[in-house]
Amino acid sequence: MKREYIYTVLFTFVVSAVLTAILAGANAFFLPQIERNEELAEKRAILYVLNVPFADDSEVDTIFGESISEQNIDGLNVFTKYDEDGTAAGYAVPFQGSGLWGLIRGYMGIAADLSELLGIEFTDQNETPGLGSRIDEEWYKEQFRGIQLVDGEAVLTDDDGELLIDAITGATSTSNAVINIMRNSTASILSRLEGAL
Amino acid sequence: MMGEIKQAMRRNLWDENQVLRQILGICSILAVTNLMTNTLVMGLGLIFVISLSSLTISLLRSYIPHRVRMIVQVFIIAAYVILVDIFIKAQLPEISKALGPYVGLIITNCIIMGRAEAYAQKNPPFLAMIDGFFAGLGYMLVILAISFIRELLGFGTIFGFDVNFIGFQTWTIMVMPPAAFFIIGVMTWAASSMRLSRQTLQKPSPAPTAAGQQASR
Amino acid sequence: MGDAVAINPFIILLAAIFTSNMVLANFLGMCSFIAVSNEYKTASGLGKAVTLVMVVTTILNWIIFRFVIIPLGLEYLRFIIFIVVIAATVQIIEMAMDRYLPELHIKLGIFLPLITVNCAILGISLFMIIRDYGAVQSLFFGVGSGLGWWLAICALAAIREKIAKNKLPLGLDGPGITFIITGIMALAFIGFAGTLIVQ
Repeated sequence: MKREYIYTVLFTFVVSAVLTAILAGANAFFLPQIERNEELAEKRAILYVLNVPFADDSEVDTIFGESISEQNIDGLNVFTKYDEDGTAAGYAVPFQGSGLWGLIRGYMGIAADLSELLGIEFTDQNETPGLGSRIDEEWYKEQFRGIQLVDGEAVLTDDDGELLIDAITGATSTSNAVINIMRNSTASILSRLEGAL
Repeated sequence: MMGEIKQAMRRNLWDENQVLRQILGICSILAVTNLMTNTLVMGLGLIFVISLSSLTISLLRSYIPHRVRMIVQVFIIAAYVILVDIFIKAQLPEISKALGPYVGLIITNCIIMGRAEAYAQKNPPFLAMIDGFFAGLGYMLVILAISFIRELLGFGTIFGFDVNFIGFQTWTIMVMPPAAFFIIGVMTWAASSMRLSRQTLQKPSPAPTAAGQQASR
Repeated sequence: MGDAVAINPFIILLAAIFTSNMVLANFLGMCSFIAVSNEYKTASGLGKAVTLVMVVTTILNWIIFRFVIIPLGLEYLRFIIFIVVIAATVQIIEMAMDRYLPELHIKLGIFLPLITVNCAILGISLFMIIRDYGAVQSLFFGVGSGLGWWLAICALAAIREKIAKNKLPLGLDGPGITFIITGIMALAFIGFAGTLIVQ
């Protein structure tokens, strides 16, 4: 009886030790690649919101290095895109806010004269699959391209007060949350950018 | 040996298809069936986990103490799932983001535990692996069929390629959760009515021989 | 900018019950949902047991993640650790119940072993981590998800009891019709979508 007990404990211990060792190895092996993917995803998001075309991942680093430079403006990490003649063409600024379930994080592109949104991209969201997480779909994000920025605010409604952004069917809460996030974060980002530029 | 493999194949792909016949293991995966690519990755992940965990459990079957059997099985399964998770994160970052926590939920996919309990711990390693592989394959074919319908009607695409040549108005409902329930409901209905009507057809004849079964298939 | 982790716990609670129900929108816990829903009383018992285990494991997993896994840098092992915590919790609850609440044990006891492999339980812990919830939010999320699961399985079981005697087309009986009812329920629950105002 006693021996059986010791064997059970020992067996469980050995199995868990072996498995943990294998997993730790795999984790260490893949970690650099995982970190590199995260870096690439950020860069892709920034290029996307600034409307900079790139063919595939191999180009991302070069294009990013050539045309984008990072600076800190009033506590914001601002990625400025420069045209070939050296004038600023637009800024990509990170934003975040609460969705229905959790944090929604992303980048928004703002034209250099602060007159319109160039685009938005979500880098982090955990909304319900098939409902809220459809904010990742192209048609939804594309709706934000060209939204006017007037008096330090994003114009998200037309003259009759109708929203210019179509909501996602069955995901009203997430859609509303995104509109709120865009309202609040454009206001706060614009006030900081205007102060600094 | 070949016969046993064939048997494992037939059993798992149709006769006892884990999803259609046993209604097992749908929890973790229906949520991602609105895109075929995500479904394929989840399905391949599952096949990997189920084959190798069946193999491992079968290899260790005479050493695992009975008292801690379940926990050891869960341990082994979880370890393979973590490997899959790390691999997807490293190689397919976009898909990893879309799948989110659902990769981890492969652990609680009842099929894996089910095959471990019902087959792997009583059978030799190679057969256990084959059995696990086909159980996973049978499962993947079903969920791929579901996601084929959902993606085609919901987005007008297949594996992300636009095939909507006729300008068909896509059905948003197909992208949303209820569609998955309707489709799997109809599929289980079709599968079991096919099986039942075959049974009623066969009833009058004397006990069917193996050859007769082959022919009717 | 809105504070990231300031999502109102009550919103999480209500959203977990109605707009993004664990079963109907997230497909978690489907196996037992389909298998144990042909009788209202049993379904309700399982629902209670799931709620209980879900609340306890959510709290435990949150504490362990915050104070053990993160400090030790073991994030990649979280699946194993969570599932072991869940299995152990179920075992302990069962023993404690047997000892101190024998009546409840007779009612819920048979369901407890089923719960270890209920994906909803592990799912809640994984969602909570990936959404970066604080202690209170996690607690409300666990309670809400449990209640939502309970509500859904009770509703399904009640419908199935009502239609049990009806004649159905060949083969639709059993899982087939259950899935279709669940689909209609999921559609109905989507109707709650506009009722919650975030922020």
